[in-house]
Amino acid sequence: MKKSFLIQFSILILLIIFANLGLRSVENVDDDELGNAGGVRVDLTGDQTVFESSPQNLEPSEGGTLVLAESAEPEHLNTYTSTSAAATRVLDYIYETLLDYDYETWRFDRPLLAESFHISEDGYTFTFKIREDAYWHDGQPLTAEDVLFSIKAVLNPFVDCAPMRSSFSKVVSARINEQNEFIITSSETYFRNQEILGGFHIIPKHVWDPKGLLDRYTVEDLLNTSVTREEAAIKEFADAFNTHPQGRPVGEDAEPIIGSGPWRFDKWITGDYMSYVRNDDYWNDDSTYIKSYSDEGAYLEKVIVKVISDATARLTALKAGEIDFIPRMRAVQYFTQTNTPDFLEKYQKVSYVVPAYSYIGWNNDKPYFSDKRVRQAMTMLIDRDSYNKYVSYGLGIPTIGPFYIYGEQYNHNIERWPYDPVRAVELIEEAGWIDHDGDGIRDKDGVPFSFTFSVSAGSTSSKYMALMLKEDLRKVGIVVNIRQLEWSVYVENLRDRQFDVVSLLWIGGLESDPYQIWHSDNIGDRGSNYMGFRHAEADSLIETARFEMDKEKRNAMYFRLQEIFHEEQPYTFMFYQRDPGAYLKEFHGVKWIPIRPGYKLYSWWRNTSMVGESS
Amino acid sequence: MSEMAPARTYSQIVGSQFRKNKLAVLSLHIIYVLLFVFIFADFLANDKPIVMRYEGNTYFPVFREYGVKWFGMNWQDAFKSQQFKILEEKYEEGDWAIYPVIPYSSTEYNLKVKLQPPSRAHIFGTDELGRDVLSQMIHGARVSLLVGFVAVAIYVFIGVILGALAGFYGGVIDIIIQRMIEIMITFPRMFLIITIVAVMETQSIINIMIILGLTGWTGVARFTRGEFLKVKNEDYVVAAKALGYRDFRTIFRHVLPNTLTPVLVTATFGVAAAILIESGLSFLGFGAPPEQATWGSLLSSARDTLPTGWWLTTFPGLAIFITVTVYNLVGEGLRDALDPRLKQ
Repeated sequence: MKKSFLIQFSILILLIIFANLGLRSVENVDDDELGNAGGVRVDLTGDQTVFESSPQNLEPSEGGTLVLAESAEPEHLNTYTSTSAAATRVLDYIYETLLDYDYETWRFDRPLLAESFHISEDGYTFTFKIREDAYWHDGQPLTAEDVLFSIKAVLNPFVDCAPMRSSFSKVVSARINEQNEFIITSSETYFRNQEILGGFHIIPKHVWDPKGLLDRYTVEDLLNTSVTREEAAIKEFADAFNTHPQGRPVGEDAEPIIGSGPWRFDKWITGDYMSYVRNDDYWNDDSTYIKSYSDEGAYLEKVIVKVISDATARLTALKAGEIDFIPRMRAVQYFTQTNTPDFLEKYQKVSYVVPAYSYIGWNNDKPYFSDKRVRQAMTMLIDRDSYNKYVSYGLGIPTIGPFYIYGEQYNHNIERWPYDPVRAVELIEEAGWIDHDGDGIRDKDGVPFSFTFSVSAGSTSSKYMALMLKEDLRKVGIVVNIRQLEWSVYVENLRDRQFDVVSLLWIGGLESDPYQIWHSDNIGDRGSNYMGFRHAEADSLIETARFEMDKEKRNAMYFRLQEIFHEEQPYTFMFYQRDPGAYLKEFHGVKWIPIRPGYKLYSWWRNTSMVGESS
Repeated sequence: MSEMAPARTYSQIVGSQFRKNKLAVLSLHIIYVLLFVFIFADFLANDKPIVMRYEGNTYFPVFREYGVKWFGMNWQDAFKSQQFKILEEKYEEGDWAIYPVIPYSSTEYNLKVKLQPPSRAHIFGTDELGRDVLSQMIHGARVSLLVGFVAVAIYVFIGVILGALAGFYGGVIDIIIQRMIEIMITFPRMFLIITIVAVMETQSIINIMIILGLTGWTGVARFTRGEFLKVKNEDYVVAAKALGYRDFRTIFRHVLPNTLTPVLVTATFGVAAAILIESGLSFLGFGAPPEQATWGSLLSSARDTLPTGWWLTTFPGLAIFITVTVYNLVGEGLRDALDPRLKQ
């Protein structure tokens, strides 16, 4: 027994010596080895507004099916009460709006269900002339009545759509006239009014309100709390609306959703798939309204959206030919698991920019982060470039503020905070966080610098971020606790502002209004300024800019606002996102656009006769 | 237990019986190795040197780490940032450091070497953040073994007491305890555990150990109860009763020692089961907190990188397999050795 112990011990010593003989620091990752991994990178900078990743020399043909995979399905499909992005992605094909984005300028001014529109001189009243040749999927004509009904449904205080209704809070009246015009008046000249008042889905009155419960009430009535409290029919309508079968058409025999768009709803089998089919009677079939984008309505006969929650299973399904398109895959899959010549021969990989940015939010009301110097230091302690390069495989585009990186609001004159741990520690010490009691952890006024980083349970990237931060901050005497939470709990804590640090993605638009997130009015009471950012100058800039209709002047204010954000660092702004995806090369007309989700399936068509001509 | 006997003591008999089973003996040796890793993990895999000479003084950073963690000591000023590898650049003539066999800690990341296959620098490769897999496995062994032992200790404790009470007294107490057991076993254990973990405020291995302990006692309780039923009418028990000993003394001094051995044998199987459940929970993300390296969480991180990162699945998978097998083999060996029918 003694002998064998001696032998074991000497082996250990030998191992230790061996290990110390220059085994370490063999780093052999080539810096630019990753590149685009055989895919196309879509940036849409400058004048480029649409990018087509498929060959353009072929005549499109109709027919064919596209199967794509999403990670989650919506809880329901009621377009007003739903808040999920998955629902929007489906419903945007089925319902239409009065106006839509112009596919060349990406301004929200292309008439769709409206034939034309004009804004009154004072900027308060919008008049939309409704087309007379638009039809619902069931053959009924789409009229101004439907438009008026839709706005009434949104404004009905009992309809479960508070987040959406808040955008319409300044509406004072809406009516229609005999010329088939829809006239809506707002009490303020808000710069996003056109996008809001022309951008809500129009739903069919004869389906949603067959009894005409809302006919008796004007929009003014619905905005008047004394009327809505008195009249039982308003509540009755809302109750029926919130639970209407159109909002959850589940199963083989469910009544399909009636919309007016280029695709009809087909089926929704929960947990499995959702499908929509081409609307052959599309009212807009011969119109050239999607010029430069697609010449006619939709080409594909059918689109099936499969629900596969596991990323690995999604990729496996793609490789097995069960699905044709993964809009969003994991970066590691895009860069390391789809590089075989076989895969690249059969599939086209694309990473496309979407108006969504990731950030690390510091709760400004917590003692650790109330001082802007500490927040600046935190930003400088995070090696964002390495994170982007190695964890996101370079898919992120560094950003300094919340505005769309290729939009007109973004201030390109601001230089990002560098990665500078030495300067960061100086700032932290300047702010008074010094290890007074000698326990190895910095403290101030008796509070140790030990905070909790909340991570959503499913998010690998924010888990990695938290792990790296924990390891880095440990070395400068700051303790990070990582807490994984279910998404629903995570959001709940966020709304109640019960957190120290969060890591999130914000999905914005091409042009956005910072009021909701950054104005001090929205702190507490479950407002969206979760970080508790309050700054007098920022508040006044945000307020003035909202009602400034001159774009130049408005953007000048937003430029200044971004300087304030940069100085205050309420968030550590991380990156604008590129989503990595892959589709079967049989598909053509694949165009990438800057509005989410980054593509519109209208223009896609399937080349069934493909005999390798595209490779 | 060290009564002198003329020929061989009970434990000697069991020992010689056990040694005949070569596989079990080998397994026991592997358990010794695991125990060694368990105790000396910090000296086997760490980013701090065991001994170092710096500016004319000798330091023992790994020991210091214990001091900082448990005894309120502080890092020397030169080592405040604990970045000993960066410090090496400042070495002068006569400065040196001896690192552990694996000179990486389980949390130390280096993005530049992410997802490296096994190499001389990283014997079992690296994960998605460039952390050393072997180092994580060594520190993960701590979690696995700790969970195994503590959880089993908890449930053996509960199970033995309840089983003893049920078996000894019978009647109403027996009925109540039996029904409690039945209620417990109607819940699928994994689901029960996941449900409890999901409502827990914080993630920690202590919680996992307690939950595993509180949900696992039914088997032991039934077993002990059965043994008690067998023994309680033996002469020595009747004698103890006749002598007027209090029940407590009869149960724990006289009956229990004679029933405990087979219970402890089942406990070895329990350790294996607990390790497996912990790995499963970590794999699902319900187990240890994310910064804690465990075999299960290593496996789960490997799922995302398959098929590229084979080393991320192979080594932790093997570790779980070997550990669970080894405990089962030792348990089996013990059971056979204790079986009187096999005694010569």
